[in-house]
Parts: sequence; structure tokens; C-alpha cells
Amino acid sequence: MVLAFVLLSPGGPPPVGAGPCRVLYARCFGPPPQGRLLRKEQLLAVARQVASHCHLQQASSGRPPAPTLPEDPAPLHAAPGGLFQLPPGDPFPGRVTVTWLAATAVAFALVCEPHENLALAEVTLRLLAGRLMAVLRPPGPAVLLRPDATDLLLDRLLPHGQLLFLSQSFLQALERDGAGRAAR
Amino acid sequence: MGTAAAENFLKQAREVQEDELSRFAARVAAQLQGPEPGAEAADCLQRLHLVLAASKSPRQLDAQLVELLQTVLCSPKCPEQIQLLCAAILREMAPCDGLRLSCHRIQNTKLLSLVSSVLLAQGEEKAAVSAVGQRIVKALEGRLPEGQSSRYLLPVLSNVISLSPEALTEEQINVVSKKMADWLRYASTQQGVAQPSGGFFSNPRTRQPGPVTEVDGAIATDFFTVLSLGQHYTEDQWLNMQTFSMLRKWLLCYGGKEMNTPNSGDKSEVDRSVMSVVSTSSMSSRLLPPKERLREKAFEYCQRLIEQSNRQALKKADGDLQKACLIEAVTIMDIICKQDSSYVYRAASFLKILHGRISGDATYARALLPIAQFFLNHGEMAAVDSDAIYKHLFTDIPAQLFHNSSLAFEFVLFCKDNSRLLSETSSIFRRSFPNLFKFLAWNSPPLIAEFVDILPFLLDAGTAIEIFHLLLDLPCLTAALDVQMRSSSLPSAERAACDPAVKPAACLEAFRNPLYRSTFQYLLRVESVSEDFQERLIPLRQLLGSLASSGRVMQCADTVPVLLELFFSVVAEFADASLINQLVVLVLQRSDQLYEIPAFKDDVHRVLSSQLVMLCKLRPALVVELSKELLEFSGTVSNIQNKEPIFTQVVWAIGEYMSVSYDKRCTVEQINRFFESLEAVLFEVTQIRPQASVPSYAPRAITVLMTALTKLAARSQDLIPRVSLFLSKMRTFVQSPAVTSVYCEEDREEILIRATELMNLLKMPSVAQFVFTPSVDVAHTRFQKEVNDTLPSALRIVTRLLEPAPGFVPG
Repeated sequence: MVLAFVLLSPGGPPPVGAGPCRVLYARCFGPPPQGRLLRKEQLLAVARQVASHCHLQQASSGRPPAPTLPEDPAPLHAAPGGLFQLPPGDPFPGRVTVTWLAATAVAFALVCEPHENLALAEVTLRLLAGRLMAVLRPPGPAVLLRPDATDLLLDRLLPHGQLLFLSQSFLQALERDGAGRAAR
Repeated sequence: MGTAAAENFLKQAREVQEDELSRFAARVAAQLQGPEPGAEAADCLQRLHLVLAASKSPRQLDAQLVELLQTVLCSPKCPEQIQLLCAAILREMAPCDGLRLSCHRIQNTKLLSLVSSVLLAQGEEKAAVSAVGQRIVKALEGRLPEGQSSRYLLPVLSNVISLSPEALTEEQINVVSKKMADWLRYASTQQGVAQPSGGFFSNPRTRQPGPVTEVDGAIATDFFTVLSLGQHYTEDQWLNMQTFSMLRKWLLCYGGKEMNTPNSGDKSEVDRSVMSVVSTSSMSSRLLPPKERLREKAFEYCQRLIEQSNRQALKKADGDLQKACLIEAVTIMDIICKQDSSYVYRAASFLKILHGRISGDATYARALLPIAQFFLNHGEMAAVDSDAIYKHLFTDIPAQLFHNSSLAFEFVLFCKDNSRLLSETSSIFRRSFPNLFKFLAWNSPPLIAEFVDILPFLLDAGTAIEIFHLLLDLPCLTAALDVQMRSSSLPSAERAACDPAVKPAACLEAFRNPLYRSTFQYLLRVESVSEDFQERLIPLRQLLGSLASSGRVMQCADTVPVLLELFFSVVAEFADASLINQLVVLVLQRSDQLYEIPAFKDDVHRVLSSQLVMLCKLRPALVVELSKELLEFSGTVSNIQNKEPIFTQVVWAIGEYMSVSYDKRCTVEQINRFFESLEAVLFEVTQIRPQASVPSYAPRAITVLMTALTKLAARSQDLIPRVSLFLSKMRTFVQSPAVTSVYCEEDREEILIRATELMNLLKMPSVAQFVFTPSVDVAHTRFQKEVNDTLPSALRIVTRLLEPAPGFVPG
């Protein structure tokens, strides 16, 4: 099961930062921790780790940081991304695996339980990221003000944190149904 | 995505004051109470959500509004967007007081799913989770109202059992298991019908849809699975897809022999005894209890998926799905075999064939891991020789695919989760450490934490030395892998071997130069080798220096200090005298055969010096046994510049352990020899050459030399006059203008104070002897330990005893 989906802005790489790391949207599916503050802090901790891995990967690949706001975002299958683990207690009670993907000035992450099907998680994340980038254009703080758009996508592609084995046909059928309902 | 704008929005949202929020909440309430909440209501709700989400501390909302949000959420005529926003706000506020929501009376399955998401986010009581679970099962069991689909229910159930497996009774588990078996195995193989769009021109007689197809376009050959394609899907096909998606979790939760539900009682005993009589062939599967029947159908489903993965998908995305399905299918088979070992034989032969099919295909490499896991778990029982599988996994995969970061991560995780089993089952794991480290060399940041857990399992008396060298050369390995990759991407014409007589100017040339080839091959080896290539690595290391500033190489270099410390802490537990001595010699040798990254060299020197101390404390006799190497190292003045930390600790160790108390073989000649060598070094270091600039030697090196000489003199008392004379000259040294300009006042003062204290101590030779050369058992008493730890203050006490009047007494 996916414990959380996080959409964040990674901020700039240390030491010169172009802004701190911020959680722009987060949805939790797992057992809620004691209290809302702890939940927020857990999500921020994940976001920071993603931002850090994002910057490290950028440094190691030798690619210059992506220019801000290009007209057409780079295709997601070439986007930087990766997997890492967080140990028990830091910040979730159990150990978790995080799969992440970076796009222009924003990054996406799925926090998974151990022994989750990571190949499927990566496929799902790429799908979510692609759909979100399409829905939330033009880019701006749109994602902050449209949690319903993100929720709708999550309900479709990751309902209650359940990863789905969706072929292209199933995906098209899903989206057709969704569009049909919206039209009614 | 306009991070500055986003930052601004967040700031504004956080700064909304309580009274402003109340007013806004009232406005939202008014909007929601209106006849048909529309775009403006949605806008308000979106802003409200942001204000709540942006602040870390919870915001209070008027109880009336909270009530209203719940009402609106459940109202049938409410637009979907408004419902989503109400649910999002209620979730954001969780845990939420005044939540009266209940799913009992909701008939609309989509709404039920949405309301459940709010309830499950509240999180305190199992009872609440259980209530949701009960409602979902009830909906699944019975007939749904017209137009409602079950497909929104299974994900909720999946979430419920993750949060609280006890939420379902045994009977409910059986009911759902039975349905799942049917959905998996008996979904329709005909495509669904398009919903008629209505309108004047629509034809009520829709065409017969036709059968579902495989991913390569062929007509489906067997029962429906997630890899069956169609234009439209029927209800049971949706359920088929969702059932498979949650199958692993369901089996892990409820498939095992122990029931963790409260209602397991005598009934299950009867079931089990029936099970033991009934075979698992599908002919009698209708007689099987629900759990066992589900297991059977799940197994068949997995077999079918594995067969379907043999087809060439027409769309790339479906190809990716095939691979994910393959991984899932093998994992589920593994779980089934753990729960019922009678499946092992069928599974083992099937998976061996699968392995043969995919082992040559790099795109399927990730699937090799669950296969290997299966054979680790069940290979013995299946009496299958799995060595070929492990060999291929450890020998070929890392060498070819180290750069695939997802595979690297999963591979390393596999090693970590199975370290013990792997080291016991097959020697290939430990022998393959050069290959495993390629993953770390290329993908350092995500893997270093996992390697910290794996390294202890790779280390033993046989591999320690080779791993020591490998750790020190890990950034070289990164550079070599980079060269290898770039070389293989060149067109084949440019890859021809170079003239060995011409010295290569760059790494890429060197890779093709026959003289360097074998050294590259050594660095890039797949298995542990006993041959020592260290000498031949020196020129290659220099050549690879051109890559030393690459981001990837530097990230790898950052991991080495922590791995080195771990290495020594593990080795200390099993190393015998010979290995300890070997390591000390290698520490000295390798200290100037390091990859040329300044920060890296400094860090490594620092770690090696502290580990040297550890080894000497572990086995003090090594100082006598390795006197030749230590003499040479400590007698080389340039070492003070290049490797100050190591030099300092070597001199300290000589002073501390070169003594009959630690090794009876220590002779007066040896002590004298060390004395003379160290004295010469100290002389060299404190010489004042007025014409040349004084090279600055670390003050610590000077004080440690002085102290070591004093300690040696205390044991061979003929040397005392020589030391005292030398120490007395330190005042002149410290006060000379050349030195004043190079050393700061604190350092000069420290040198002087230490020289004085040592001189004073030597005036009482028997005290000096006791302090500096305790008998070994005394050395372990608390008093002596304290003295050793607080030597400087002990020296000060002695000094005060000798100098009742303040001031410096020249020797």
C-alpha cells in the first residue's frame, strides 16, 4: 500500500537556495499518526529527503538545473527520479521506501510500505505526475488551490493508496468514464 | 511552477488571522447553504482548504461549518467537485471533533468510498475502521442498488485491512475470499459494452463487442487477467483487476495458517482437517474451503500472467505493466508456497523455466530478484539446484546494469534482506563483493545506508584485505565505470586497441591500451581474486585523476570514511594477529596511494589514523613485530606534511607500546634505534634555517615527538640526558623569529609547556618510568587508565611539585 503521495517544490540546492523545500500537496492513506502536527512533520521530512536526493542526482549527472518554466516540460520518461529507503522511526514508525520523480521546479513522491511492488509504484508515479502536469497548467501555484483536481486523479489512479495494475486500455476506460461523468 | 508565487500564497494562507478565518468560514457556510453550490462555492472551499493545509498547527473551524461540510458531502445532488473539496477539508482537519459522518446509510458506492476516506483518516479507534469494513463487506455481499458499481469498494477494503486486519470476522473473510476467487478466475472474456450515449442518432442495437485480446493483439487464449485488453470493461473485469491489485496484501493478511481474527474457533480445525484430505487439484477445488480455493485460483492466475509476459506488447506502457505483473506474480507464488508447501514443486519447475526464458533479457532483470527470493525460500524443499540462478544474478547483472538506479536499489535491498541466508546458502554472495560495490560506486546517495547493513556480511578473514583495498579505491571504481560506459557507447571503429608503446594521455585511451587493460579489468572484476594488483593500480589511479572532480565520483568519495570505520569495527571482532599486522602495514602503505581528491585524502587519513590507534590498543605487541615498517614510516619527515594524522598516531603508538611490558621481545637496541630515528626527525623539524622559510609542521607532531622520545628515554635511561638537552633547546626554538611568524601563540605556548613538563618528569626517573611504562596489569587499573588519559595534567602536577616557586626553571 502507498502510505502517502507528496507533491513538493524542492527549492534550490545547498548552499545557494532558490527557496526552501515546501510541501505543495500531500495525501495520506496509511495509519494516521498521533496528531496532525506529527503528520505534517512526517510529510515535510519526506519532502526534504526527496529534495536532497533530487539535488544530489542533479550534481552527479552533471546536468545543469532545469531552466524555469519552459513552454513544454521535458518528457517524463527522461525525468530524473529514484528510490530510497527511510529507516524505522525516521520519520515513519516502520521502514518505508520512497519513489520520486522530478519535473520542472516540482517533484512527486510516493511513500510505500516495505515489500511493495516498486516497479508498479514507479509506473503509477509517472502516470500521476504526467496527468497532474497536464491538468495543472498553466504552471503557477495552481496545485495549492486545486486539491480537488489532485484528489480526483488520486481517486482514479491510486484509490485509497491502492496501486492498480492498469493497462493502457483500462486507463483509457477509466478516463472515459471520468469525462463522461463530468459531462453529465 | 512559479515557486515564488507558490511561496507567496503559502505565506498569505499562513498569515490569515483567526477572526478573518471566522468571517471567511461564515461566508463559505452561506455559500454551501444556498440552493446549488457552484463555482463560487468551490472557489471558497479551495481557499479554505489552503488556509487549513498551510499551517502546521491546527486551525479551528466553527462547529456549524463542520456540520455543514458533512451534510453537503453526503447530499445526493451535490456536484462532485464540491464533495471532493468537503472531504479534503474534513481530512485536513483530522482528527476532527464533531465528526458525525457514518457510512451505514450511504447507498451510492462512490460516495461511500469518499466518506470512508474521511473516516479512515481520523484514526484513533479500531472500532471506526471496523465499522467501515463491515459496511463495505455488506455492500459486497448483497445486491447493489441499480446503477451502482462494486468497483469503488475493493480499494476501501484494502485500506481497512491495512489499518486493522481484525476488522473482519472469519466469516466475512471467507465470504470475500470466495468472491475474490470467482472474480479472479471467472471474469467474462467478452469485452464490455459501451454506455449508450443517447441522442437522436444513437443506435440502440450496439454491435457485439467481441472477445478481449492479449497485449500483442491476439485473441485472448484463456481466462481474463489484468493483461487482457478491451475497449470497454464489464463490472466483473474491473473487479478482476482490483482483486489482483490487492491480492498480495489479502494473502499476507489472511492466507496464513494462524488466524488473527477473534472468531477463529473449532470450525477452523474442522476446515483444516478436511483440507489435509482434499487434494489441491482443480477438479475438486469446489470442495475446498474459501481460503484454499482462493489460493488455488491465485496460483493459476499467476501462472497465466507469467505466460502472458512472454508476448510482445504493442504499447510500451503495456510492456512496463507486463514486467510489473511478472514481479507481482512471482512474489505471490512465493507467498502461496510459504502458506502451503504443497505448491512448491509446481512453482519451482515453472519458475525455473521462466528464469531460463528471461535471464538473457536485460529489460527483465528486475524480475530475477523475486525469482531468486523464491529459490532462497523454497529451493531446498524443491530439491532444485539454484546455484546457477544465484551465479547469474551476482555475476552478470551488477556488471551489466549497475547504472540502472531502480534495479540497483532493489538488488541491494534484496541483499540486505537476505544477508544471512545468502551467506549461508551460497559462497557466491560473498565472493561477488566487487560486483556489488559497483552499485554503490555509481548510485552512492540512496545506497550508502543499505550498504552499511550489508558490509558486515561480506567481511571475513578471507575477504578483509581485498575489501580494504576496494573501499580505498571506491571512487576509482566510479571513475572506471564511467570510462567503461563511455567506451562502450563509442562506435566500434573507435574502440580498437591502441598502440601499447604510446603512453595514453586520457582515460578513454587507456581503456583501449593493452598494458592498462588488465588493470581496468581488475578494477572492474566481478569476483574476489587473490592476486595483488596494488602496484599496477598506481599509474591507472593517476590517469583516472582527471575524473576526480566529477559529481558522481565525489559523492562516492563521501561514502568511504563511514564504510572504513565500519570495516574496522567489524574486523576488530574477528581479526587474528596476522590480519591485524597486515592491516597496519597496509594502512601505512596505502596512505599515499590514494585517489587524488584533497578532501577525500584528508578524511581517509583521519579515519585511518584513529583506526590505527584502535588496532594498536587491540594488539600492542604489533609495535614490536612491525618495528621495521614503523621505523621507516616515522623516520620519513615528509610524512609529517603529507599524512600528519597518521604520522602523529604512529609516533604516539611507538612511545606508548615500545616497551617490555607489552612485548617481552622488545630490546634495548630497538628502543635506542627508534629513539635515534625520532630524535633525527625532531631535529629536522625544529631546525631554524634563517635563510629559508620554515615549513610549518603541525605543532601536534612536535609535541608527540617530544613525548615519545621522553617515554622511550624513561625505559632506556642512558638516553635521558640526550632528551633533556633537546627539550631544553625548545625555548630557543619557540622564541625564534622565524617560528614566531609561523606558529600562533597558543601553539608555541603549548610546545613550551609540554617541553617543560617532560623535562621536569625526567628529573625523577623512577616516577617517569612508572608513569610511562606501567606493568601491563597496572595499566588496566582505573588509576593508571586515568593517568594515561590525563597525562598532561599529571605532568602539570609533577611540575608543580618540582617548582614551588612560580616561573620557569631552565633545565
